[in-house]
Amino acid sequence: MIQIRALSKSFVDLQRGPVTALDAVSFEARPGEIFGLLGPNGAGKTTCLRILSTVLKPTGGSATVAGYDVLQDPAEVRRSIGFLSNNTGLYDRMTAWELVEHFGRLYGLEGRSLRERMESVFETLRMTDFRDSLCSTMSTGQRQKVSIARALVHDPPVLIFDEPTAGLDVLVARAVLQTVADLRDAGKCIIFSTHIMREVEKLCDRVAIIHRGRILDQGPLPELAARHDEPDTEELFFKLIEQDEARVAGSENRSESDFAPLAA
Amino acid sequence: MTWRNTRLLFLREVKDQLRDKRTLFMVAVLPVLLYPALGLGMVQMTVLFRETPQTVVVLGAEDLPGPDLIAGERFAEEWFDDPAAASKLRVVTAASEADASIDGATLLDAATEVRAAHERVEEVSAVLDAARATGDERDLAALQSRLRAAKARRATRFAESGIQVLMLVPPTLDEQIAAFSQRLNERGTVPFEDTGEVPRPLVLHQDADEKSRLAYQRVAGVLQTWERAVLRDRLAAAGLPADLPAPVAPRGLSLSLPSERAAGIWSKLFPALVVLMTISGAFYPAVDMAAGEKERGTMETLLICPASRGEIVCGKFLAVLTFSLCTAGLNLFSAGITGGYVASLAGSGPAAHLGGLAPPGLGSLAWVAALMVPLAAFYSALCLALATFAKSNKEGQYYLYPILMVSVGLTVFCLSPLVELTPLYAVLPVVNVSLLLKSLLASGGAGGALPYVPVVLLSSIGYAGMALWWAVEQFKREDVLFREAERFSLKGWMKHLLREKEATPTFSEAAFAFVTILLLQFAMMGPMQQALRAAAPGAEGETAFRLVVIQQLVTVAFPVLAIGVLLTTNVRRTFRFRWPDWKSMAFAVALAISLQPIMSVAVLWLTGRFFPELPEGMAAFKQSMASVPIPLALLAAAIAPALCEEIAFRGFLLSGFSRAGRPWLAIGLSSVAFGVVHLVPQQVFAATLAGLILGTLAWKGRSLWPCVLFHVIFNGQQALLGRAEQGDLGPVGDAWLHLLFDEDGYRPVVLALCAAGTTGLLVWLANYRRDEPSEASSAAESVVRRAAPLTSPASLGT
Repeated sequence: MIQIRALSKSFVDLQRGPVTALDAVSFEARPGEIFGLLGPNGAGKTTCLRILSTVLKPTGGSATVAGYDVLQDPAEVRRSIGFLSNNTGLYDRMTAWELVEHFGRLYGLEGRSLRERMESVFETLRMTDFRDSLCSTMSTGQRQKVSIARALVHDPPVLIFDEPTAGLDVLVARAVLQTVADLRDAGKCIIFSTHIMREVEKLCDRVAIIHRGRILDQGPLPELAARHDEPDTEELFFKLIEQDEARVAGSENRSESDFAPLAA
Repeated sequence: MTWRNTRLLFLREVKDQLRDKRTLFMVAVLPVLLYPALGLGMVQMTVLFRETPQTVVVLGAEDLPGPDLIAGERFAEEWFDDPAAASKLRVVTAASEADASIDGATLLDAATEVRAAHERVEEVSAVLDAARATGDERDLAALQSRLRAAKARRATRFAESGIQVLMLVPPTLDEQIAAFSQRLNERGTVPFEDTGEVPRPLVLHQDADEKSRLAYQRVAGVLQTWERAVLRDRLAAAGLPADLPAPVAPRGLSLSLPSERAAGIWSKLFPALVVLMTISGAFYPAVDMAAGEKERGTMETLLICPASRGEIVCGKFLAVLTFSLCTAGLNLFSAGITGGYVASLAGSGPAAHLGGLAPPGLGSLAWVAALMVPLAAFYSALCLALATFAKSNKEGQYYLYPILMVSVGLTVFCLSPLVELTPLYAVLPVVNVSLLLKSLLASGGAGGALPYVPVVLLSSIGYAGMALWWAVEQFKREDVLFREAERFSLKGWMKHLLREKEATPTFSEAAFAFVTILLLQFAMMGPMQQALRAAAPGAEGETAFRLVVIQQLVTVAFPVLAIGVLLTTNVRRTFRFRWPDWKSMAFAVALAISLQPIMSVAVLWLTGRFFPELPEGMAAFKQSMASVPIPLALLAAAIAPALCEEIAFRGFLLSGFSRAGRPWLAIGLSSVAFGVVHLVPQQVFAATLAGLILGTLAWKGRSLWPCVLFHVIFNGQQALLGRAEQGDLGPVGDAWLHLLFDEDGYRPVVLALCAAGTTGLLVWLANYRRDEPSEASSAAESVVRRAAPLTSPASLGT
């Protein structure tokens, strides 16, 4: 369903100079599976998912979603995914119903089919009691539900959730995770990015650990645990990150020493 | 792109804006409330307005001849066109002071002091004149400083006196006038030639003080009317006809009907309102829809929907356009209704001269509506593109203020009665719509402006289209959409510029270089003019040519070379200093020769039809070309511009602009920039056209040198032809002229051959493409450049 091959993204930042946000990342996600993207803040998760949603263009490699290439058929890719992240805000001056309806129309739904789909989504997510409230008056939990409804309204085969529980209270977070699990059971291909270990353990069928734009390792959690001889997910995560930090520091030292004879 | 998505996005934006109180206030509430409030305010102000009378002191009023100029504390009402105006001037004289307030006495004292100060100035001035006449240079400086001091004292005394106008009547004025009248009566017996110098009344006032100037204008009017009465009395006494001094007395008669007078007012008000209101109406919605979307964090939600960027921008653009049109329409409606109503109220008030302000006709309103659309479209797209850059509403407003300022400037320019629609103005954005509307409204939709309608409409639609295209381009750029609101640090930015240099300049560096060239040229104008004025008589031509060479080096070549060396790593690629191939060099020579006659014929034909005549300075410069030495003329007119301008426009600017990934856009932009620096419309036209060809040649031939060669030969021919005409080039020049010209100008055969040659050459250029330099050599080149810093430590060490 999702195939990423040697995907790279670099840009120039005024403060930091040239930045490689993604460095030859490759992975695959299949229908009926939750693929976890686990990494600290600034690891490149959001950049990777933005490329998958065609909002950013890669500087190298390729990515296909539901058979469509992100560079060749961006419109078809967007039609095939439901995307949710911290950056996908809601229009404050619209009600929940209007907002989901607007996006449903943009996805090509009309008339009865749109209304029925919306009724069912609003019912499933238990949103009927605030469907006519303006988004500006909603609680964080309610807003997240509207966002999920917005991502689900066209019943896409692929769903991308970028830290969907950030800032939510335990009850709402639990409900969101349950929704994600239900969607997997309905056969959707799901990418789930997070930095919370518990969510990964609970939900993800396979995981990729990403750090400084590179994938350090990927596979089902038990497999990863066995490979690195570390049964605790959190410890496994830290171990991989530390190894990577040591590798980067080593290469920097090496490159400095390369110039030592010249300096002398 | 589908209309369905655009319509969905458009409807959402409109609905969203209608729920925003700020937009509603700007678009609907403000115009509906503002104009009636302004109208009411105006009526109130006229009711409350009381002008404090200005003070006029007359010293020696008793010596004024009859009829009586002054009645009590006023000038007599009969000397005013509007008798009510008499109360606006308070006249203080020695006679009126006797039965008036204390401040009358103070004023008279102050006036006496001013008179004394004035007499002192006269004295010193007389001494100074005497000293000048005797050629006594010794005391001249001292006397001059005394005169300055005396004048300063007189001005201070007057300013402190509280008097707006002081009239000094010479003693015995009435007697002299009576004596003169007497002699007139006895004409035939008394010769008139020796009337001698008669002392005249002096009216002191201050030009720099508004109140004093106004009072002086009134006093002057009064004195003029009164003087005519004095004259009339004198003529009557001498038994002469009253119309003796005005034998012709022509009478003016205005044929304007009241409706035409109203049209004149609407033709000033509506174009200005249309420009200002279409931009104000586009301003807030554009900022809210672009920058506001980023600020509220909904931009990414929008970008992940299936609509393309083009559809998103078009939806937003249509929404901004709708609000811009509504704002402008409502404002015009409200201003029109209120204006008409206030004028009808005015009656005999200060607005009475407007008469009953008749509303504009339906035809005029239709023109307003038709021309408003392309203008609003242009502003909507422009505002949207600029607002997309911004991260927040606040930032967006900063970006849009320059558009507002420029538009206000253009509006004021178009309001001037002397500015009329010309072919040139018909293609300038904003100015064209404004002037066409002015002309159509003034003439009631008829007259000479009609042929301009298609030109203005087409060019305005073209500008709107370009602005919209630019807005879509902005919406496709990641660095624009996902710009972080980073803290700007000048140090960090400079470091970034100098550390992360690239092989060729960026788009912004090219734009910066262009602006620098423009600013330097502007700054050079002053020193150049000074140097020209200081030039020895007869040597102005030579000085001007030397200055042109310096100007080219300083304002055109230097900035781009400096920026290029400082900010790029590959100077050779940046400026296209590559060795040329023989084909493009031959092409440059052939085209320069064949294009020159065609271009000069075209420019000549367009001058007067489309372009105004050459400005005086330019024509004088061209004439002086005939007198300077030929090598200097060639250096200033051909070699220096060819080198400097090619380095700047086909070298640096073209390299920078082509970084946007569109060679044709880069060629277009660099040639427009090349045109703009030429200032004179004829040259702008010729330079932009030549820029297109030269840009293509530089891009396809991958070298600057063919362009330099073309430029030298093209300009050189112009310079040398003039010299050949005055016989400076001997028999060779004569043969050359004979080859090209007959009595009527260029020989038709020559023009036909040149046209055919130019066409053939341009076709060749379209198909020509010089091979890319081999990858290996260019890669090696860039590696070498990167490894070698500008000042290598090794060279410093030795």
